[in-house]
Amino acid sequence: MGALGHFLERRGIPTTGISLVREHTERVRPPRALWVTFELGRPMGVPDDPPFQRRVVRAALDLLARTDGPLIADYPEHVESPADFSGWACPISLAPADISSIDAEIDRLAVWHDRAAARHGRTTVGVSGLDMAAAGRLVAQALDGALPPAQALKEAVDDLRAYYLEAASAFPDPGSPAARKQWFWDETRLARALLALQPKLAASDDPQHKILANLTLIPAAERHRLG
Amino acid sequence: MVKRLADMPEAEAQHLRRLECPTYDDTPALDGPPLGARRVAIVSTAGLHRRGDRPFRPGDGSYRIIPADTPAADLVMSHISVNFDRTGFQQDLNVVFPIDRLRELVADRVVGSMASVHYSFMGAFPPAAAQPHAEHLAGLLEADKVDAALLVPV
Repeated sequence: MGALGHFLERRGIPTTGISLVREHTERVRPPRALWVTFELGRPMGVPDDPPFQRRVVRAALDLLARTDGPLIADYPEHVESPADFSGWACPISLAPADISSIDAEIDRLAVWHDRAAARHGRTTVGVSGLDMAAAGRLVAQALDGALPPAQALKEAVDDLRAYYLEAASAFPDPGSPAARKQWFWDETRLARALLALQPKLAASDDPQHKILANLTLIPAAERHRLG
Repeated sequence: MVKRLADMPEAEAQHLRRLECPTYDDTPALDGPPLGARRVAIVSTAGLHRRGDRPFRPGDGSYRIIPADTPAADLVMSHISVNFDRTGFQQDLNVVFPIDRLRELVADRVVGSMASVHYSFMGAFPPAAAQPHAEHLAGLLEADKVDAALLVPV
C-alpha cells in the first residue's frame, strides 16, 4: 500500500493513507500515513459506525496539511475485539450425519443467506459468476480428482466462503464474527472439503494450484488444521 | 486491538513478515490547498471491483475503476489473500471503502469535493507490477483535478 504513496506523489498527486501494519509502513516510508490498530480487513475500524469512520477519514485527510514526511501519525482510538459468545451454536444442524453433501449444506443455508442479503440490502457474493450450487459442485469435482483451473476454483471458494459467513450473520443468535469463522472451520462440510483439497492442489504440477494450496486457500491461522 | 506484529497470532504475523516490502528513497510530501479546497479520490488496495469486472489474480498490479455513483450492492472483493477479515466488508462497505464518509465530509464542507471516479488495486501486488499502473493512474487523477489521494489498505 505504501508503495502507491511514492508512485502517486512522485507524479504530482498528494497522498495520505491508512497504515494497518506499522512495521511495513516504517520500512516503505510513504509520504504520510495514519497508523491504526484495527483488525486487518477493517481499515475504518468499526462497521456501521459512521461517526467513528468519519473520525478516521478526517484524521488521515488532516495529514495532507503536513509536508514534513515521510511521517507516521498514531491514531488515538482503538477497537477492542468483542467477547466471543461462548456456547454459541448454529441454530440449524449442519452436522455431517444430517448433511450428506456440500450441495445439501449450501441449500440448507439459502434461507439464511436470503435473510442476510435482505437485511444488508446487498451481498458480496458474485466474483465467480457461478451460482452457489455450481460453485459447490466445482469444489466437489476438484475433490474427486478433476482439478479445475486455479483461478476458477479460487473465485468459487471465495464466493462460497462469503455466502456461508453472510448466511451465518443472519442466524437468530449470530455470535461474533470470530465465532462465525470458527463455526465455518469447525462445523461445515465445505471447510472440511477445503482442508482435504489442499494436499491435492499442493501435489499438482500446475504452479497456480500450488499458490492456492500454499497461500490463498486456507488462512494462515487455520493451517494447523491441515494433517 | 492489534498493536504490532508481535501482538498478532504467530501464523498471521509470520505471513506478514514474509511480504515483499521494499524501502524507497524518500518522496517529498507535496504542498497543496487547505482540505476544504481539495478534491479527494479514494485509492483502495482491497481488491474491490464491480460485479462482472475482471477479478484480480495473483501478481496482478493493475487497478479497477469504481465510479463515484457505484451502488454498494454492485461491489465485490477478489483479493487473493485469505488472511484478513471480510465479515466487516460483508456488513458495511464503508469499513473498507469509506465513500459515504467522504461524501458526508464534502457535504459538511470539510472537504472541497470528491473525485468522479475512485480506484482499487489488489494489495498483494509485487510493487514493481503496480508501479506502471499507478503512474498512469496519477495522470488520470490529475485530469479529474484530484489533488489528494486517500490510500486505504485492507
